[in-house]
Amino acid sequence: MLYRLLLPGPIVDLSEVRVLEWHGAPGTQFNPGDLVVELDTHKAVVEMRASSKTVLRKILIEAGEWQRVGEPLAIVSDSADEPLPERAEDLPQSSATYEMV
Amino acid sequence: MSAEPVLTRRVFFREAICLAVRETLDAEPNAIVMGQDVGAFGGSYKEFYGLFERFGPARVRDTPVAEAAMVGLGVGAAAAGLRTLVSITYMDFVLLALDPLVNYAAKARFKTGGQIRVPMVVKLTAGAKGQGVAHSQSLESWLMSVPGLRVVAPSNVADAYGLMRSALQADGPVVYVDHKRLFPTSGPLNASGHEVPFGLAAVSRPGRHATIVTHSYMVCVALAACDQLAVSGIDCEVIDLRSLAPLDLATVCTSVSKTGALLTLEEGQVVCGIGAEIAYQVQARLGPVRVSRLGAVPAPVSSNPVLEAASLPDAARVADAVRRLLTEG
Amino acid sequence: MTASDDIDALAAMILARELESALSTRADCGFQLLSSGQEAVAVGVAAALLAQDQLLCSGRSIAPALARGLDPGRVMAELIGRASGPCLGRGGRGHLSQPSAGFFGAHAVVAGNLSIAAGVALALQARRDRSIAVCLFGDGACGAGALHETMNIAALWQLPLLLVCDNNLYSVSTPRAAALAPQRLSDLAAPFGIEACTVDGMDVRVVREAAVALTDYVRNGGGPAFLECISRRFASHSTSARETRGQQELAADRELDPITRLENALLSEGALSAQTAQALREQVRARVMAACAFAEASPLPVPDQAFADVG
Repeated sequence: MLYRLLLPGPIVDLSEVRVLEWHGAPGTQFNPGDLVVELDTHKAVVEMRASSKTVLRKILIEAGEWQRVGEPLAIVSDSADEPLPERAEDLPQSSATYEMV
Repeated sequence: MSAEPVLTRRVFFREAICLAVRETLDAEPNAIVMGQDVGAFGGSYKEFYGLFERFGPARVRDTPVAEAAMVGLGVGAAAAGLRTLVSITYMDFVLLALDPLVNYAAKARFKTGGQIRVPMVVKLTAGAKGQGVAHSQSLESWLMSVPGLRVVAPSNVADAYGLMRSALQADGPVVYVDHKRLFPTSGPLNASGHEVPFGLAAVSRPGRHATIVTHSYMVCVALAACDQLAVSGIDCEVIDLRSLAPLDLATVCTSVSKTGALLTLEEGQVVCGIGAEIAYQVQARLGPVRVSRLGAVPAPVSSNPVLEAASLPDAARVADAVRRLLTEG
Repeated sequence: MTASDDIDALAAMILARELESALSTRADCGFQLLSSGQEAVAVGVAAALLAQDQLLCSGRSIAPALARGLDPGRVMAELIGRASGPCLGRGGRGHLSQPSAGFFGAHAVVAGNLSIAAGVALALQARRDRSIAVCLFGDGACGAGALHETMNIAALWQLPLLLVCDNNLYSVSTPRAAALAPQRLSDLAAPFGIEACTVDGMDVRVVREAAVALTDYVRNGGGPAFLECISRRFASHSTSARETRGQQELAADRELDPITRLENALLSEGALSAQTAQALREQVRARVMAACAFAEASPLPVPDQAFADVG
C-alpha cells in the first residue's frame, strides 16, 4: 500500500511547518520507531517516526521548504516495488507517529 | 530546529527577531540579552534560539523572576556602556518594571542634561491567547505618552526584523511589542540589515472607501475583515502603524484625506487608547472626519475561549464597524 | 591612612556642612534633603573609591557629590537650578549626576537607584579593570522589593557592587523599628550570602576603614558587599518635612557630630592645631563663598530647555 506522509491536522496552534531534515532518501526502508523526518515549527521541532516497516518513495517537500499541516510531505509505501501513483491526493494517510521535542 | 537562523526567503516570526538580535550581538561586543529563559531554553517563544550557544552565558543571561530588577539592570548597564535587550515574556509584567523604565530610563537623558543615555530595548509580548486575565493585556497606549520612550510594534516577519534592528541601534530606551498570535506566522524576509525607521507607518493594503489604522496582530484581523468587506464592494485601506511612539500621523492623514473615513483598531482598551490619540490628531490636522474606534470590551480578558472571543475585535466585528462607519458616519 | 587623609576627610565634611548651611539660608533654596550629620558616611565611603569607580546615591545627594569631588560651584549651581550645573539645572539635588567624575549620581525614587547600580556594576565587570559601583541608600529603602531583588541578582552574578545603607534611624517620621522587622540592617544581606557589616556612621575613620576593606573585597572579585553605617541626621528629613524628634534626642545626636569628633581627635593627636583647624575652616568657607558666587552668576536655563534631550 502507498500512503501520504504528513503531519496530521488540526494541531492546536500549528498551521505550517518547514522541513528540517530527511533522515533517508527515496528507497530507504524504515523500521518502526525510526526517525523519518524532522520538521521545524514556530515553537518546537517535530519528529515524525515510522510506526511500521515503511519505505520512503518520493519526497514532495525538500529540506528548507514549507508545507501546511495536513498536506503531504512525501509518498511512502509498505514495500519498495509498488508503482508510484500519478497523484498523491488519492492515497490514504500514513500512520507515522510524531512528537514535539 | 535549525541551529543557525539562516536568512532564507521565508522564516518564522521568531526567526526574524532572532536574526536581528544575533546580528547585533555579532556586531557589538557590548550587547547583551537578559530575561527569563532566554539562555539554553532559547526564549519563551524560541525567539532567542541558538544565541546562548553562540554567545555564551555572559552575553545571553537567564534572570530570576524579578522584572523590576531585570529592567533596572538593563537600564544601569546600558547607561554605563553596554547595549541591553531585556525580554519580558508577557507585556502584563512590564507593570512590575515601570519604575526603572519610566522613572529612570525615560528620564535619564533629560534629567542629567544629556550625560546619561540608555540604549536599552525592552521586548514585551502582548495579546490574548487563552492565558487569562493577567497574561493577555495590550498596554501599548500606557507607554506611548511617556516622553523619552519609543514604542514599536511589528505585525509581520519583515518588520519584526527591521524594527528590532532599529531598536537595537537606538541611543535611548525602546519598547518593542510583539504578540503571541504573531509567533505562529511566517513570512518573507528579503534583505539583511534593513531597518524600519521609527515614526514610519506602512500601507498594508491600499483602498479607497475607508481607512483602518491599527498595529500588531490586529493588522492580520483588519486584513481578514477587508476580504469580507471586498465581497460587498467595500474597499478598505489598512495602515500598519509599526511605530506607536513616535506616531506617523502624516501617513494616516494622507490616507484619511483620500478615504474620508477612519476606523482605529486596537486589541487594547479604547479609553485613552491609541485610537483616541489618532482620532484627535487626525481631526486636528484635517478637520472633522467620520471616525470611530474599535478595541477590546471594557473588561479583563478571560482564558475561557468563549469569553476571550467575545472580548476582542475579530474580522467580523471589524467589518461591521466599517459598515457602520460608512453608513452612520 | 595618613594624617593628611584625615585632614582631607575633615575638610570634606566641613565643605558639605558649610555648603548646605549656605544653601539652606537662601531664599531660592528649594526642596532639599540635607546630609548634615551624615557627612562621615559620604566622605568615608568616597575615600575608598578610585577614579574609575561609580558612586550612586539617593536623593540625599549633596554630601556624596561633594565627597566624590564634584566642583562645589557647579553643585551649588545645580542645586539652585542654574544652567551651569552638571545636569544643566534640570536634575537638581534629586538627580545630581556627573558620570565623567565617577558620580553616576542621584535618583530621587527611594530604592530606585539600587538595580540601576547593579546594572552599572555589570557594565563595569565587563571592563575587567577592578572598577566597582557603590550605591548609597537609606534605611527607608530597606523595605523595598528592589533591594532584595538587587541583592539576589548581585549575589548570583557576583557583581562588583557595594551597597551602603546610610541608616539615620528614620524614614521621614517613621523610626526604623516601625518600618523594618530586622534591627540590624546588614542582616538583610545574609540570606544572599553577601559579605556585610554594620559600623558607626558618625566616625569617618571607622566608615573609611570599613569601606576600604569592603571595596577591596569587591574589587578582588569577592562579589557584592553590604555596609550599614548608623548615622544621625541633624535636620528634618527634608526642607518640607517638619521635625518629629524631641529636643533631647536632637541634642544627643549633635553630641555625635562627626566633624567635631574628628577635629577633636586630630587636635589631641597633634595632627592639627587650633590655628590650623581655624585656617582649614576659613579655607572651606572661602570655597563655599566662591561656589555660591559662581552659582549666583550662572544663568537660569532658557525655557526651551524644558524639552531638550528628551530622547
